[in-house]
Amino acid sequence: MQSEKMIQSLVEHTRQFINRAEELKNYELSTLTWKENATSWSILECLEHLNLYGDFYLREIETKIKQSKTQHEAIIKSGFLGAYFAKSMLPKEKLNKMKTFKDKNPLNAQLDKGVIDKFIRQQIQLLNLLDLSKKVSLNKVKIQTSISSLIRLKLGDTFLFFVNHIVRHLQQIDRIEAAMKKV
Amino acid sequence: MKEIVELSEKTLTIDRNQFLKVKGSIDTNVYYVESGSLRAFVLDDFEEQTIRFGYKENILVALDSFLTGKASDLYIQAIKKTVVKVITKQQIDDFLQSETNRILWTSILENLVLQQMEREIDILTTSPKERYRRVLARSPQLFQEVPNRHIANYLRMSPETLSRLKKS
Repeated sequence: MQSEKMIQSLVEHTRQFINRAEELKNYELSTLTWKENATSWSILECLEHLNLYGDFYLREIETKIKQSKTQHEAIIKSGFLGAYFAKSMLPKEKLNKMKTFKDKNPLNAQLDKGVIDKFIRQQIQLLNLLDLSKKVSLNKVKIQTSISSLIRLKLGDTFLFFVNHIVRHLQQIDRIEAAMKKV
Repeated sequence: MKEIVELSEKTLTIDRNQFLKVKGSIDTNVYYVESGSLRAFVLDDFEEQTIRFGYKENILVALDSFLTGKASDLYIQAIKKTVVKVITKQQIDDFLQSETNRILWTSILENLVLQQMEREIDILTTSPKERYRRVLARSPQLFQEVPNRHIANYLRMSPETLSRLKKS
């Protein structure tokens, strides 16, 4: 796949993430914190979960891009693990439930609209990193995962995985809204 | 201008604070504002600098992307709920097949160069009062359409300075 095409597609996704978040900002706090049952997440909890991942990955990506002396490469090749991770994030038609790591679970944290502002700030940061990444190799720069420092993904795969993860949880937010309307 | 707007086959509505374009995207569209208002800005290290506004009956375009077909740093964000007509670069290119249309297009671009020059003088003018006076004389409508804080940013002064200048 061409690097430029992939970056463009990720930038466009990020634009849509920000626009969706701006829309959510207009909601009442009671809507944003509504949950179907005691163990399911509210809209804000979904966003906070994404923020927790963002805190880890955006910092890691920024450090690795700035340290890198690699050159831009026009073609991006997915690694075996990277392709698997990125793909596993995308929701299937029949929802594939996933387990959340404990330190990334915001269940019942005290949350307010500041969570949405933080989410938007992270998207702006993501746009800046996508921009910076044009100067380095999306194949050779390696990013540590939050699972283990021994498991590392290519920068390109990490971006894809990271964006797909956001897609996944924004779809979860759509489902929360749908469930709320039924009540 | 009417001829260009009529090429559009697509209308977009975006809500307050939503983005038409973000940093790093390739956006070669020309936008005609039907209602609402937008601002084009750049952002580095969380400091924004507004470059241009678009409100009712204006054309707004990420000119760098439009001309080069490459990614540009500009953000374009709605200040309030905004409806734009989209004219694609392809539609403009087709339009420019005819000689008369090319003459019209050249005059639009010439006008744009003049506007850019006025803006360059704005930015290089030292006195905040003089910067304010120039923009007010040129675009009185702007002060009806756009909130003070955005105009203050465009004029490179604090909102407090702008409101003091407006009163004096």
